[in-house]
Order: sequence, then structure tokens, then C-alpha cells
Amino acid sequence: MGALTSPEVGTFVNEHFVSSFQKVATFKIVGKQKQGGNVAAYFCAPDGRVLHVIAGPVDAATFLAESKWVVDTTKACIEKSHGDGGKFKSLFRIAHADKLRRDTGLSVEAVGFDLPDPQADGDALTFRDPSGRPLAPKLPPPPIDGPDVALGEKKFEELQKNAANAPGARACYDRRGGRVVVNNQAIVHQLLAAHAMCPIERVYGTVFENILGEKISTKPVDIVNPFPWVDKQGNRIKR
Amino acid sequence: MNRLMMASLIAAIAAPTVRAEDGATCGFGTTIAFVDSPKEAATLARKQEKLVLVLHVSGHFEDPRFT
Repeated sequence: MGALTSPEVGTFVNEHFVSSFQKVATFKIVGKQKQGGNVAAYFCAPDGRVLHVIAGPVDAATFLAESKWVVDTTKACIEKSHGDGGKFKSLFRIAHADKLRRDTGLSVEAVGFDLPDPQADGDALTFRDPSGRPLAPKLPPPPIDGPDVALGEKKFEELQKNAANAPGARACYDRRGGRVVVNNQAIVHQLLAAHAMCPIERVYGTVFENILGEKISTKPVDIVNPFPWVDKQGNRIKR
Repeated sequence: MNRLMMASLIAAIAAPTVRAEDGATCGFGTTIAFVDSPKEAATLARKQEKLVLVLHVSGHFEDPRFT
């Protein structure tokens, strides 16, 4: 959607992040047409733990807003945690729950513990892909409790209407069985309210398969040239 | 999470103006400077005191809807 060609996005991202790319999942070629394909952007700490995710293609304004949210939230959590890593993780999960509440009016409880990994690397019974790696886990999101009580009905409906217009909008049920609307970014916040600061290899399977609906074939693969139609200087290659 | 991790995070936020000059980067027609792998990005991020952005793309890199 042109987010990565925006000069504002480029300036901000290059200033605060070191960027790279990987190829995941699969796509089919039917006749001469390719089917499938998607994108996810992971904002991580330098050790690969995920702070935030943008699931699916978004426009430049959304990409910039989400990038700024990551940087601002990280700053705020660092300040409040006073060097305590556990507190930082907890605060970041609370920040995701707060963002979900602000964006969609839905209340989710941030999870203050790490779920045990059900498929440790050394486990003989773990199903593995052909390269020998365990498959990417599908992390369970915390349940949506329901509409935030601090919002009036009118405000909640307004937020839900906005959520319904965003990419990946879908209906789901809250804990009481009430029908609510979420979208890709809402599910990301819901997921990261429980799993923020997990390593990227534990999160990407959930993002691609459970949020974007893309089947993952194998582990992420580094690719030499992601944009084969342009050279390294960005000039279109004539064929 | 240990204090070392926190220190690198603090440094990443505190000094965001350091440019990616150490690693060879390519934009591939975008405004983002990409290094070759997430591993290299993590190493550079520690060195240059930044955070890491990893883009996962399935299939259609050439589809402008995704980039």
C-alpha cells in the first residue's frame, strides 16, 4: 500500500530501527496467476523479542503511527520500569491492552506471566518441519472481556464502527458471548497483551496463520533479493 | 529479562539519531534501508543503539500493495 515508499516512514524508521526482511509462508501459482501473499512488520528489541507487530499491508500514515507508538511506548515503559526487565515486559503488555481499549473499546486483561513452551526444541515428540525445526507455535490470545465500562454506549459503538472499517475486520465473541468487531491490529494488541516480549520465532506463526490466515510452510527464509524487478539502487531492471 | 537487555533497550531509545553506516544497506526501491538478515540487523541494532524492524513477506514482494 505504499507505506515503505513514503519518505516520512523511511526517515522515521531509518532513524530508530535497523531493518531487515525474511520470506515466510507460501503462495500458489495457478496458471500464470499468483495467489496468496501477505506481509507482517515486527518491531523488536535488539535481542529479537517482539514489542509490536503490524499485521498485513497498511498505508503510510498507519505504518508511521504504529512505529511512533512503539518508540514512545518503549520510552515510557523504560522510564517507569527503572531498569527492571520483568516490570518492563509487564508494562508493555498493559500498554497493548490499553491501546486495544482506546482503538476498539474492548477490554482485555494483560497477562503477567509467560506461558510454558509446549514444544521445547529438545522434545522428541515435537512435530518438526523437513528442516528439523519445530513448527512455529500458535499462541493463545487472552479472552476479550467485553466493552470497556468507562466508555458510554455511543462511544463504544463509534469505536466499533471504526474497527469494522480497518483491514481484517471480523466479528468475534467476548467472554460473555456478546458479538464484537476486531481487526488485524486489534488482534495483534490482544495477542501481545499476553505475549509481548516473546521471541519473534514464537510469535510469527500466530501472526501469519491466526491473524492473516496464511499457511506457513517452513521457517522464515532469508532472501537475497526481495524486489527482483529493481536493482539495489532502486532502478527498474529492463527485461 | 536481564539488566543487559534493559540497558540495550534504553540505549536504543536514548540515542536514535545514529545512522546505519556500518552495514551495507539496500532500499530496493523503498525508503527503508534493509540489511541482509535479521541476525545482522540485531547485531547492528546493538552496535548503533536502535530497535529492530523485521519484515516478513510471503510470496508477492513485487506486489506494491505489500510494500
